[in-house]
Amino acid sequence: MSSSDVRDVLNLSEGASGTRPNKKQRLAAPRPNLKGLAREVHNLGGDNPIAIVPEVTQFKKRRFANRKPASRWEMRSFRNSARDDSTLILKHWRRIEEKQENQGSPADELKQENGTQEGQAPTQDEMEDSSFAKFNAQVSVPQYSDDQYAQTLTSDTWTKDETDYLLDLAKAFDLRWPLIWDRYEWTPPATNGEANENGDESKAIVPLPDTQARTMEDLKARYYEVAAKMMAVQKPVQYMTQPEFALHELMAHFNPEQEKMRKNFALNAFTRSREEAREEESLLLEIKRILARSERFNEERRELYSRLDYPHAETDISSFKSSAGLQTLLGTLMNASSKKRKTLPGPEGASPSNPAPPQAPVQDTGRRESTGPSTGNREPPATGTPTTASKKGQSQTQQPPAERPKLTEKEEAIYGVTHHDRLGSGPTFRTEKINKLFSHKSNQQQLRINNTLNELDVPSKLAMPTSATTSQYEQLLGAVNSLLEARKVSDKLDGEIKIELAKKAEREKANAPPDGENSKAQEDSSKENAEKGAVTTAPEAETTSKPNSPDPDDVEEGDAAKNTEAAGAQKEEEDEIGVEGKAARPGSSGAAQKRSASVLSTASDKSSKRQKK
Amino acid sequence: MAQQPLSSAAQPTDIYGGDEVSALVLDPGYCNTRAGWAGEDVPKSILPSFYGHSTATPTQNFFGDERLIPRADFEIRNYMNKDSVVEDWDVAPKIWEHMLINRLQPDKQTPPSKNGLNDDPKEKTQDGEGDVAMEETENQEIEKLLQENPLLVTEAPWNTPKAREKTTEVIMETWGCPAFWLSRTPVLSAFAAGKATALVIDVGGANTSVAAIHDGMVLKRSIQKSPIGGLWLSSQIRSLWETSEPKVTLTPTYMVENKTPVDALAPVQARLRQFPYQIHSSFRAYEEERVLTEFKESVVEVWNKPGRLNSPGNEEFAKTLPGRVFEMPDGWNQMWREQRFKLTEGLFDETAGYPLPEEERVAKNQTIPALIRAALEAVDVDLRGNLLANVVVTGSTTLINGFNDRLQNELAAMYPGMKIKIHAAGLTSERRFGAWIGGSILASLGTFHQMWISRKEYEENGPGIVEKRCK
Repeated sequence: MSSSDVRDVLNLSEGASGTRPNKKQRLAAPRPNLKGLAREVHNLGGDNPIAIVPEVTQFKKRRFANRKPASRWEMRSFRNSARDDSTLILKHWRRIEEKQENQGSPADELKQENGTQEGQAPTQDEMEDSSFAKFNAQVSVPQYSDDQYAQTLTSDTWTKDETDYLLDLAKAFDLRWPLIWDRYEWTPPATNGEANENGDESKAIVPLPDTQARTMEDLKARYYEVAAKMMAVQKPVQYMTQPEFALHELMAHFNPEQEKMRKNFALNAFTRSREEAREEESLLLEIKRILARSERFNEERRELYSRLDYPHAETDISSFKSSAGLQTLLGTLMNASSKKRKTLPGPEGASPSNPAPPQAPVQDTGRRESTGPSTGNREPPATGTPTTASKKGQSQTQQPPAERPKLTEKEEAIYGVTHHDRLGSGPTFRTEKINKLFSHKSNQQQLRINNTLNELDVPSKLAMPTSATTSQYEQLLGAVNSLLEARKVSDKLDGEIKIELAKKAEREKANAPPDGENSKAQEDSSKENAEKGAVTTAPEAETTSKPNSPDPDDVEEGDAAKNTEAAGAQKEEEDEIGVEGKAARPGSSGAAQKRSASVLSTASDKSSKRQKK
Repeated sequence: MAQQPLSSAAQPTDIYGGDEVSALVLDPGYCNTRAGWAGEDVPKSILPSFYGHSTATPTQNFFGDERLIPRADFEIRNYMNKDSVVEDWDVAPKIWEHMLINRLQPDKQTPPSKNGLNDDPKEKTQDGEGDVAMEETENQEIEKLLQENPLLVTEAPWNTPKAREKTTEVIMETWGCPAFWLSRTPVLSAFAAGKATALVIDVGGANTSVAAIHDGMVLKRSIQKSPIGGLWLSSQIRSLWETSEPKVTLTPTYMVENKTPVDALAPVQARLRQFPYQIHSSFRAYEEERVLTEFKESVVEVWNKPGRLNSPGNEEFAKTLPGRVFEMPDGWNQMWREQRFKLTEGLFDETAGYPLPEEERVAKNQTIPALIRAALEAVDVDLRGNLLANVVVTGSTTLINGFNDRLQNELAAMYPGMKIKIHAAGLTSERRFGAWIGGSILASLGTFHQMWISRKEYEENGPGIVEKRCK
């Protein structure tokens, strides 16, 4: 295919067709060697030669380019210097070198690269060496003399003969441990009289089963032991180079037990089922994911920390890291501030004038009690202030955070230590606790409680809610609540009594007059009676126990009685209570309330007294 | 770039590590003995290890398949025992010599002193001493027959030290080889598969062996051997034929003079050949084995679907699979269906298969899965994973259809979590002659030159050197 073909295909005009043959001739001259695809590609370019440089390969020679006679080969004998005996002479076919003819031929270049043997053996007298001799690699196995063995290598479980045998095997199998273990068949030499004469009793003593049971780890451990010791003997450890030392360390610290454990693990892994394998795979994936996520998380956290980073203290703060150090720091701060400020707002409300003196000794005794056995003679921190910095490390290690002084009840009271079964999360105000007692009640009840508290001259908000006051206040509120409950019940009972009395009066009235009156007159009279009854019963009720039964109530009741029949009295009763409850609060006039409160106050006398105190 | 043939002008580069020293490789087995030149891809000379022995005086041995024909006073013997260890040391060197020298070496030129051209009429008058001298030189000639060729001989991994030393003596004393080497067949099979570390499963004619190879050496504790192999399979087929309805009689080919084709299960119409002399039973057995081999090659299959053949449902399914017709030498022909799967089932499951006489029955620990398990348990746990990833399957019996799939299934069931890879050569010849090919590769390597046991080393140490060197 040439450019003209392309032009044909693409229907291009053959404008420059006249000049092409000339150009082709010119082009043909510089690249006569182009073959195959390269030539085709070049021809595609046609008039405009394309910039593809054809790769000229050295290997692509025409097969019969040189018309030389066939090369001559000969059976040439050679030896192999890697052999133990150099007498074996084998023969192989090699080309006969013909120096003058081969000069400059491509085959010669190949030969030069081919190996040293051809270059080395131009003369027939010298037997050539196999080019494969150089691949003979041998492991070096530690050597030792009898003296050296006696000095450093003696072992309870290994005789010298067996060690020799092991090292021979190691050399024979090039330290391939599976093979060494596989072929390890040590049989102690026959123990005859001669062996015992030499004093080599161990040979006779070593039991056969012991040697048969040698595991690969045993063999390795012995070999590495020997190798490491002989290394150290030949070159003391301090003179070793870095890799030598690393090797020595590796061999000296071979742990057969660990190897055994590892192999047990491997055995388990080997016998696992397909499901287990799959599960393990998924777990590994999960771990990878978790690790990646935690890395990201750590990165974010580090970034966050770097943003939140506080300026580092200039001076060394490590002396204040221990609790003793903190104590001294507190003491010095106290001393410094006691001149300026008289009081420190102690949260417990313990006598604020002298907070430091009681605290320090108590703390001290507490700690001394607990740390006594462990620390022995420890200086009290107040006096040991200068030394704490130097003793810091010691005290840090000797006072783990778990150590907590036990407080007596008194101390607990002083420090405000309380014990709870459960604590809510986060800090809370004590006032909130009191507010909660309020907020749980309905509005009416809150009002009533407030009224009661006002009556007692107790503020509804505590000025200083210490734990003692709040607990008292809680008690007070509890008492108020129970009082209100009791009052409610008594009101109800009063109402009932009143109604019953009214009924009674009506019944008496009905029995007393004659029956000639009409129903209307009866009604009227009944109304009057009801009024009367109500009026008469009201003072009674007041005098008995009812603290607040105001008159409007009675009036209303009277009205209600007017409107309704006697049969509906039961209903009225209920209404009455509700109405009364409503009316009572807005209309709580001072006198009646105060009276009742005085009655009340006897019940909560104790609490109010304490409150005042 | 098309691959060009190696130019004869350029010497082959040494990158592949070959350096041929015209070594010979001999691979004796129970069924066949293979011999050839190292560096080639198939043995040039393959002879049955069975040989003919004429009991008529003078006794004579006949080597080679083409010479094993019906004769009078003729029996078939084998120079090896069923463990693939040489038993008859009188015949073994002869048959090896026959293969290595008669079949591989070019015919020697008749020495000038013997070819009659140089006969001096004067010498005839004073023969006496001259003849003796010539005989001596002739003996030397024979001794030098293999003087130029190092010889690599294979052996079963359980070969006895005595047999090894005997082999060494034959090689060095009788043939005068310059160097020799003994190598175990599993190692060479692994080499043939291109592996230095492998678990070699060799299901051959007389027995099956499983051995772990580590770094080019066999791990002795892992060697497992079992009689299940081609001959065991033959006995299964015999049992099948005897128990099948109607009973199949096995008439070897040599007995059939002519036959007319008949329909399936139709009575045989053949005329049997009559011999005027007694045919020895060993000859008939040998000939029957040929028919059985043909049956194995064309009909027998291994169940390679999931599960075993006796798993529920599989046997019914096997019955639906297409059958194969086999025509016996006498014309009897029959369709074989599920039976052809059941024949091989005993390789994997000792309870399956057809009933056998007591001495041929296999134990539970002689099935192939049991052998593999035992072999792996005898090696270090660190090696096991690597071995399972390099399972090399070799031996002619593995050529039965479906064997490798089945083996893969069995191994996957035994070691579910492991990666299992079976390497089985695709070429029939490579599977049959795996050990020989490995020997061919080994003996042609340039780096192997330092391994050969040379004549001098042999002379210094005696035959015991083979135990020291060929570990």
